[in-house]
Formats: sequence, C-alpha cells, structure tokens
Amino acid sequence: MKSRSKKILLLVLAAALLAGSGQMQKVLNRDRAQLDLTRTTPLKSAPPLLAFTTVALGGFRGLISNFLWIRANDLQQAGKYFEMVQLASWITDLEPHYPQVWAFQAWNMAWNISVNFKDFSDRWHWVERGMELLRDEGLRYNPYEPLLYQQLSWIFQSKMGQNMDDANLYYKEQWANEMMPFFGPNGTNFDELIDPQTAGAKARAKLFREKYKMDPVIAKQVDEQWGPLDWRLPEASAIYWAALGLEQAKQHPSKVKQSDLMQLRRSIYQSMLQALYHGRLVINPFDKSYDYYPDLDLVSKLNDAYDTMYAEEPDPGQKDSIKHAQRNFLRDAVYFLYEDNRIAEAAKWFAYLGRNFPNQPILDNDPNSLPSQLTLDQYAVACVQGDVKDIDQNRTLSAVEGLLGRAYYELATGDDNRYAGFKLLANKIYDRYSKQVASFQGQARVGLPPLADVNRTVLNQLLDPQKGLPYAARAVLRTQLRLPPETASTNTSPAAAVSTNLPGTGETNTTSSLAK
Amino acid sequence: MQKILAITWLTWKAAFRFRLFLVVAVLLLAAVVGLPLVLKDDGTARGFTQILITYTLSVITALLGLSTLWLSCGTLARDIEECQIQVVATKPVARWQIWLGKWLGIVSLNATLLVLSGACVYGLLQWRATRLPAAEQEILRTQVLVARGLAQPPDYNAEIDARTEQLLQERLKQTQISGADLALARQQIREQVKAYFQLVPPQYTREWQINLGFAKNFLRGKPLQLRVKFNTAQIGLSGTFVGQWRVGEPGTANAWYSGPMSLSPNAYHEFEIPADLFDSQGVLTIDFLNANNTTLLFPIADGMAVLYPEGGFTLNFARGLGILFCWMALLAAIGLASASFLSFPVATFFSLALLVVVFSSGTLSDAVANGTITGVNEETGTAGHFIADFVLIPAFQGIVAVVNVVKNFSPIDSLSTGRAISWGELGAAFGQIVLLFGGVISAIGISLFARRELATAQGNQ
Repeated sequence: MKSRSKKILLLVLAAALLAGSGQMQKVLNRDRAQLDLTRTTPLKSAPPLLAFTTVALGGFRGLISNFLWIRANDLQQAGKYFEMVQLASWITDLEPHYPQVWAFQAWNMAWNISVNFKDFSDRWHWVERGMELLRDEGLRYNPYEPLLYQQLSWIFQSKMGQNMDDANLYYKEQWANEMMPFFGPNGTNFDELIDPQTAGAKARAKLFREKYKMDPVIAKQVDEQWGPLDWRLPEASAIYWAALGLEQAKQHPSKVKQSDLMQLRRSIYQSMLQALYHGRLVINPFDKSYDYYPDLDLVSKLNDAYDTMYAEEPDPGQKDSIKHAQRNFLRDAVYFLYEDNRIAEAAKWFAYLGRNFPNQPILDNDPNSLPSQLTLDQYAVACVQGDVKDIDQNRTLSAVEGLLGRAYYELATGDDNRYAGFKLLANKIYDRYSKQVASFQGQARVGLPPLADVNRTVLNQLLDPQKGLPYAARAVLRTQLRLPPETASTNTSPAAAVSTNLPGTGETNTTSSLAK
Repeated sequence: MQKILAITWLTWKAAFRFRLFLVVAVLLLAAVVGLPLVLKDDGTARGFTQILITYTLSVITALLGLSTLWLSCGTLARDIEECQIQVVATKPVARWQIWLGKWLGIVSLNATLLVLSGACVYGLLQWRATRLPAAEQEILRTQVLVARGLAQPPDYNAEIDARTEQLLQERLKQTQISGADLALARQQIREQVKAYFQLVPPQYTREWQINLGFAKNFLRGKPLQLRVKFNTAQIGLSGTFVGQWRVGEPGTANAWYSGPMSLSPNAYHEFEIPADLFDSQGVLTIDFLNANNTTLLFPIADGMAVLYPEGGFTLNFARGLGILFCWMALLAAIGLASASFLSFPVATFFSLALLVVVFSSGTLSDAVANGTITGVNEETGTAGHFIADFVLIPAFQGIVAVVNVVKNFSPIDSLSTGRAISWGELGAAFGQIVLLFGGVISAIGISLFARRELATAQGNQ
C-alpha cells in the first residue's frame, strides 16, 4: 500500500474510532448514572476549557488548585480582592464536583470579602458574586448537592435577611429592586411569570428563569406550601432554594445523604421565622423608602413548621431547642398580632401558648409570669415596657409617646389596623400606669400628664413643618384627623380642633377622646 | 562597538529566522486582546482594570521571560554545537564582544516586544476607560490610572528603642535576666512600648500627623486619599467596627468629618478626603474616634497612610515596563551565561531550575527563619537539626537576599493599585538588577565563554 493511501486510511480509521468512543462514552455515562456507580455526575454542557481541565490535567489539577488557593489567600491577606472572582472560578473549575470548594469560595466572597469594603454598594457586589457562584455555576455542575442549596439559601437568609451586617438594609433594598419587575407591588405574580401573555411579560419570565435560575412553577408551589411570601424579600428566595434542594434530594435519594437534608429544612423554618418578623415589604409613600413589617399571615404555618421540625428531629437535645424556639416565636407572634390590632388572633395564640407551655414564664425578666397569671393586655403592655411591675414614670411616658408617634405614622402610611393597634397599646399602658400609681401618696409627683396633652405634644411634633413628618405625610395625617390644611405661615397647634376616627375601635373622637 | 552591533544584528536575524519574534509577538498580542474576553472580574470598572493590568502584564512577563531564556540559551549553545561559532570566533572579534553582542541583541529584541505589547495594553486601558460613565472614569483616574505617592507618619523607632532600653534597665535593676531571656524580655518590652503608638482604646481618640514634605507644593486643590488598616482581638457578628474621622488643621474650621464609618479589621480601606486640609508646613492631622467596645490597633508599618497624586499614569506605566525590561535583561544574562558552558538542553534546564529557586524563595525563607531544612515540630514548637544545615542555611540566606532584591521591585502590583513607581525606583532596579546582578552573571558567562574550547563541541554532533 502506498504511503499516502495508508495515511489517509489511518486518518479515516482514527476519525471512526474517535466517533465510536464518543458514542461509547454516552453509553458509559448513562450506565454510570443508572447504576449509581459514583455520586458525581458527568459534566454536562460544560465549557470546553472546563471539560479540558477536568480531564486533561488529571492529577496535576490538585497541584494547580493548591497554587491558586495559596495565591487567593495571600492576596486576601494583602487586601487585594480584584482577582478573587477569577481565582475562585479557576479553583472551582479544577474541582467542579467538590461541593466544599464551591461553598467555601461563595462564603468567602459573600461574608469575608464583602465586609472589607466600607461602601455598601461594594459590599453588595461581593454578596452577589458569592450568590452567583453557587446559583449559576455550583448548582449547574452539582444539581443534587444539598450543601450548595443550603449555602445559597444561607446567603439570602443570613447575609441579606438578618441584621448582622450593617449593610443588610441596603442588600434588602437592592434585592427588592431586582425582584420588583417580576413580582410587582404585592410581592406575588406567579400567573404572569408562568404563562406570560405580553411581550414584556415574556421577557420578564425569560429573565427570571435564565438570570435568576428560578422556576416560577416551583416558586408558586413553594409559596402555596410555605407562604404566602413576599417574593421581593430575601427570605422567599432562601425558602425557594432550600425547598428546591429538598425536592432534588427527594427525586434522587441515592445521590444525597439524608442527614444533610436537616440543614435545608432548618433553612426553611428559620427563613419563615424571619419572614414573620419582617417579611412584609411596604414602600413608604412619601420618601419611597422600604419598610419591613411582620408578616402575620405566616403564624399558623410557622407553628405547624415547628411541630413538623420537632417530629423530624432525632436528637433529644435539638428537640428541646426547637420547643424553646417555638415558645419564643409564639410569644412574639402574640405581641405582633396585638400590635396589629388582630386582637382575636392574638387571644387565640395566647391561649395556645398557655396550653402548650403552661409552666414556663412568658416574660424574660419575670420568672412568675406564667401564662395563667397574665391577661393578654398585661402581656402586650409588658412587652413594651419589659416588666409588668415596672412603674417608672419616665419610661412609661416615653413608651406612650413612642407608641402614639408610631400610631400616627401608620395612619399617615394608610395602615389603619396598625394605627388602631398602637393607639390601643398606648392607652393600655397609660391606664395601667395610672391605676398602679393611684394608691400612692405622692401621685401628683409620679403621675403622668393627661393623655390628651401627651397626644397633643406628639401630634404637634409630627405636624411641625420644620422638624416633623414630610409635607405629604403631614397632609395625609391632617386629612385623616380632619384637621385644617397646613398653611405656609402657620405653625399652629392642630390639637385644638382634633377629631378623628379610630379604626377598629369604632370611636369618633374629639380632642378629649384622644386621651382615652 | 561596531563589532558588538554586528553580532547584535546577527542575533536579530536569528530570532527572525527561527520565527521566534513573529511567534512571540503574535502570542503577546493575542494575550492582550484575548484576556479581557475571558477574565472574570468583581463587577466594577476599577476591579476589571486592576485585573486587566495584572494579568496582561503577568502574561507578557511570563511569555517574554520564557522566550528570553529559550533564545539566550539557544542562540549561543546552538551556535557552538552547530559549529557556526567557529566562523564568528575566527573573525577579528573578541569573545566578550560576541557574548555582549548576543546579549544586546536579545535585550533589544525584548525591548521592542515589550514596547509593542505595552503600547497595546496601554491603548486598551485608555480605550476602555473612555467608554465608561463619567463617575467610573473618575474612580479609575483617581485610584488606578494614576501614580500615587505614599506618605506615612513617623515610625517612632528611635523613641521606641530609647523607651525600651530605659524600661529594660529598670527591669534589670529589679530582676537578674540574661542570655536568651534578656532578648525575649527586650522584645516583650518593645511590644508594650509599641502598643502605645498603635492602640486606640474604646471611646478614645487617636491623632496622627503626616508630613507631606515637598509634595505639599503641588497638592493644593487636589483631593487626597487616606489608606487605613487596623487589627483587633475581637470580631463581632457583624465583622465590622464603627469609627469616625476628623482630618484637618487642629483648632480650625478647615477640617473634614467623616461621620460614622463601618470598617472591617485586617483590611486596607481607602477613602477620599477633600483638598487643602494640610497646614502651611504640609502636615496633615488625622483624628480617629474609636466608637466601639474593643480596642483597635493601627500597625505602625501600614496602619495609616496618605495617598496623593504624584504624576500621570503614562509615565508610571513606562517606568513599570522599564523594571520589567530589567528583569528580562537579567534573564538574558542568565541564559547566555549557562549556554556559555552547557549544551542547549542542559543550559535551558539549568536556567529554568534557577527560576524555580527564585519562585521557591518563600520555602527558602521559611528554612532560614527556622534555622533548619527539616522543618518545625508543630506540637513541640521546636526545630529539628540536620548536618547539612551548616552549609545549606547560609547558602539559602544568600539566595534569599539576592532574590529579594530582585523581587522587591513589583511594578505590576504598583501599576494595578495606582501606586507611583519613581524614577529613583527605576534607577535602583537598573542598578541592582541589570548592572549588579546582570553584571556579575555576565562576567561569569564571558569568562567561561572566553575559556571554552569551542571546537570540542563538534564531537557531540
């Protein structure tokens, strides 16, 4: 055979063998997955560079990876962070199936590097980079790994949701701004995301799936199971990713360790608790800032979650912790409901608390404050003042003024229930104090000014054109309280002609009735 | 000189004949153009520019370094092995002229490639900068694409030493201390004295005064930047601490107040301060209020500094390339020196081994610090001993000292952080790297080449 023909033949043979090995590889990969030969799965749709490094470098990957870890550490010590994203990318590319590597790199960016910047916008960049590393790449190559779901959930729940980082409100605001186009003013908009009709809606749904890697169908299921949640807030995303991790584990039980799933469940419960505390986003109508209120619709589901968590927990020590946490949650829930003027629900959960924890005090500073010894009103008042026996004049006055101020603020923002709740609480505290000091000889010395005077003072401060609420808020408040409109030259006391409705209490009051 | 230039020209021709110039030029340009497409940055224009400067210049250094070693080893060793050198050596040209001519040829080749690739990097940086929003451009122009000088407060070494000796003498009057204990006692007292200059207790204010020296004459009307770093023994859940700054002339209204600032420990923080806050003597006074419940420590060495604009990026970039050029000149000397007495593959291997030693200087430094090559028992904290330590440790000390002189010039680091590379620094790099080390290595190489029996290499073919 001529040399040229032989070469061509060999080339054809090489090409045929290469194609054949490619087909064989598919079969091997399928068998590998079906027979559960390894926990890791072959890389799918990986970039050529990543596929090359994971195969061609072989054992040298470890050496290169070590070098990169050392460089990353040295640079971090020297305060040079601009290479970190690149180095993390290389390190994870070299060890794409090692979840701890992804988890560490993401955690390092979101927690350690972020706080090294004084500007909150810089910090947010790093929190996002950590989040993206897990969401966009880590989970792509490790779709069943509970640790990565848990870490991603943890960034939303702890870094953004909690207040340990003093930039947490900035993070929440930035995330809310990003989620607002998808979820609108109410925080839920699944139907449009699942079945978009207009071009704009289709573009949003596509962005939601492709950039944020979230499936609106699953999000809706999560909302139905654990919500209703405000999806503009980080807690909803924390629950989503933890729930998705659980779902993946359920579908592929052989690929995960069941003991790893407890962390995911805890992420859900803890995020729900956070959502209870501040899971309702309200946009301040006057300065457009974001306010975070308790989401009291979650109380029942969260209580069920605690019961479930208690039943699932095998460790007796942990069981006690869960019960303790449930009791704390119920105490807070009762107070929040009371504050929101949902008195009937507050009474229901107060009774539930008494039934389930009859022998444990419900006030931190009073070991004798068993549920059977206190009424709901006494408990709510004590929550504000710290101690039911506390009759300090200044603290009481300060508490009443604070609650009245808060009540008027809520009225200005249109939340009539909370207005009524705070007003009620202020009245209760004032009444309780008055009764307690009534028997004292020196009542005049320790007594409070009339409630009407306190109320007038607070209202005057809020309606002060120079130091009070913004103009728009003052105008709303004046309208709600039926006060004359503000004039440029006047700084008159409004209280002389005050009359108002107290929603929820059925009162129509004049000035004197504010003292109630 | 004509003879040297003739050899230089021959080296250039060889580089073109081997396609080396073309290949390296294409690789360098591909790296400069291609890197921005694949780099992952932190999402800020500043971060992207910093990583771009670091990686493009690093790739240029690595490519040029390897090609320099390859060419310098090859051009001499292969000439000897292939007997072409016999044609040259029989001409009226001295051996040292041949050696120097080749070195000059390689160095000038490097200079050309460095200028070519450096110009591309510079153009790329400027082009990208002009496409950014004005605010981002401003950040780049003030923090990265600039040459910033550094002014620091005094190191108080004299005061610390004097006070340490005074306290030590008082201690010695009370207690008898000698030998190793004396050194330890002195060190402990020194740390205590140093603490006075470094610590800011809770709710206390600390003042620094930084003399801007001659720079005050051209800093009027220009904002400056403070670079601060502190350590602390306690780190809370938030990981940050709150502090407030006042910068300006004491007792006057010419001051800037920062308001509460959330800062993390163990990290450098840079922030801008308004212009003209220093006094007529050029002294800038900085006060810091520690508003936390824990003591903060600002290290004397790098806890407090002022960064000020000293010059433009263009010249700074050129000076940085100048230092890279010095490194290349040294590598060329190393390659030629090893090719002067070794065959091409062995010379290449030898030169690369030298580079490995340079990159391993951290390991060597550890061995020198421990006083042994056997390492330290982590449980007992004691170092082992090995008979070879008597020879190796002094040798390592020498190597580390030499390597550190070369490595201490870090132009890429300075350029990526907007730090000024002074003419003095460039001059020192040229003097130490090219003239001193390059000169010594060249002298050894020329000496070996001059004594080599060139015709004996023929038997190897």
